[in-house]
Amino acid sequence: MAESDGLDMALAPAPAVDQDQAPPQSLWQRIEPTVLGISGILGVLLLWQALPAFVTLNAGTKLFFTPPSQVAATLWELFASGTIWAPLGVSAAGFAVGLGIAIAIGLPLGILIGRSETLNALCDPFITAFNATPRLVFLPLVLLWFGLGLWSKVVIVAFGAVFPLLINTHEGIRSADKLLINVVRSFGAKEWDVVRLVVVPNALPYIITGLRLAIGRAVLGVVVSEFFGSDQGLGVMMVQAASQYKVNIVFAGMLVFMALSLTMTSLIKALENHLDRWRPQRLASE
Amino acid sequence: MADAAAPRTGLLRSNRRILLGSLSVLAFFVAWQAVFLFVPLNSLFLTKPSLMFAALVRLTMSGQVFFDLGASAAPFAYGLAASVLIGVPTGILMGRRVRVGLALDPLFTVLYASPLVALAPLVVIFLGVGVTGKTFIVFLLTVFDFVFNAYAGVRAVDPLLLNVVRSFGGAEKDLYLKVIFPSVMPYIVAGARIGVGRALIGILIGEFFAASEGVGYEIVRFGNFFALDSMFAYILVVTLIAIVLTQGVRWAERAAFPWRVES
Repeated sequence: MAESDGLDMALAPAPAVDQDQAPPQSLWQRIEPTVLGISGILGVLLLWQALPAFVTLNAGTKLFFTPPSQVAATLWELFASGTIWAPLGVSAAGFAVGLGIAIAIGLPLGILIGRSETLNALCDPFITAFNATPRLVFLPLVLLWFGLGLWSKVVIVAFGAVFPLLINTHEGIRSADKLLINVVRSFGAKEWDVVRLVVVPNALPYIITGLRLAIGRAVLGVVVSEFFGSDQGLGVMMVQAASQYKVNIVFAGMLVFMALSLTMTSLIKALENHLDRWRPQRLASE
Repeated sequence: MADAAAPRTGLLRSNRRILLGSLSVLAFFVAWQAVFLFVPLNSLFLTKPSLMFAALVRLTMSGQVFFDLGASAAPFAYGLAASVLIGVPTGILMGRRVRVGLALDPLFTVLYASPLVALAPLVVIFLGVGVTGKTFIVFLLTVFDFVFNAYAGVRAVDPLLLNVVRSFGGAEKDLYLKVIFPSVMPYIVAGARIGVGRALIGILIGEFFAASEGVGYEIVRFGNFFALDSMFAYILVVTLIAIVLTQGVRWAERAAFPWRVES
């Protein structure tokens, strides 16, 4: 079973309500979903902003309350003054190196275990075990081994991101059409050619789904490893701000992480659509 | 490659898988233990299986494992229960009332896609590191799994079935009882499968921060004391529980909804 999370479902277009020949829609009908969606988000923000006007917050809660306008201002300030670039760079480096290592291990290993039943049987218990376990549990150990700094972060990120890639690649490799493989074989193809010509192209949508999940895990890995065992980075900045009750900085950092993961995810989505153009029917890799 | 030799009986093949799998796990532990026959063990850095299992037995006998598991299990259960109780009705409402769905979908999608874990420091400061704080972190991480799965479940309901119930004089209540709930159930269980994994992450984060009990707290504490045998024992316990939970939900999913073929 290919690994997936609810996000795929959430990001998939909603099934059209009337599928059979939709009558010509009025302008309002066409823009209603967008208007409603935007007003949903705006409504929550406005409510948040206006909250102190409705309820009087007691002194303790006031310490934690920061309106969205304040968060936006803080975010602007962080970028304008340039203080955010150093921690953001550290976080981005951990993310990129970790994800790179995850890809470098996950893809080849996924192909190998997808092609060899024996290897698959040998690796399966470990993959199942590590995939089920939140990799976070190894964080204290990784910190003990690699210390504070870039490498423990890279290890946590890579460890978290490798499994969705590995599992989805494996799934994609195994779903290759046996007939196509036999055709290529009967034309004298070696195992390498079978992998190159049939198996990997077939697995591409799965691999990309895996990549999308891996990005989510990698961001999570960055956040968490910086919360507990780093001296620099966006997560460190947020924890320090939280302990000084600078809630606006925490939310600003959160927004940056949010933007990071949404951008990466939609880039992958675009890549997926681009690579899928030639396919007769979109493969459901979920 | 091995598929070329396909016409084996299914039984033999699955046995072969299990055999190879157990063999590799066994080989892993044996190799891990055997390495230290040749290399001196630095017990501040690594442990070996014999010490790990000894620590596991010791901690189990003294009852500490159960105490910590209990401390971690309560917020895990509360958080998941809150997610189901709030997430499922929200998702169903979004599915049944098209405009509610349209209004909330983008907001929730953004929240779901963002690393909400990043709010953990705030939660810890605001609600503390006790049961409440951990419960809230678990809730935050899992509620959207249930919202989106219930939402998808309602949207997948066959409108024909609804019309049939209506034309036989069914009230709104019957629509829910006879059609909507039964068809949403598999989606909720699928949400639970994802949610369980995220709930475990939530618990560990809550306990890593500054708890005074619980499995995550003990792992950090043993790490600080360089008690690697106990630390590995607890990691093993978490691994086993995680496997049991995720495979358990999968099994329940297949047993309860055998018609749902998972791709």
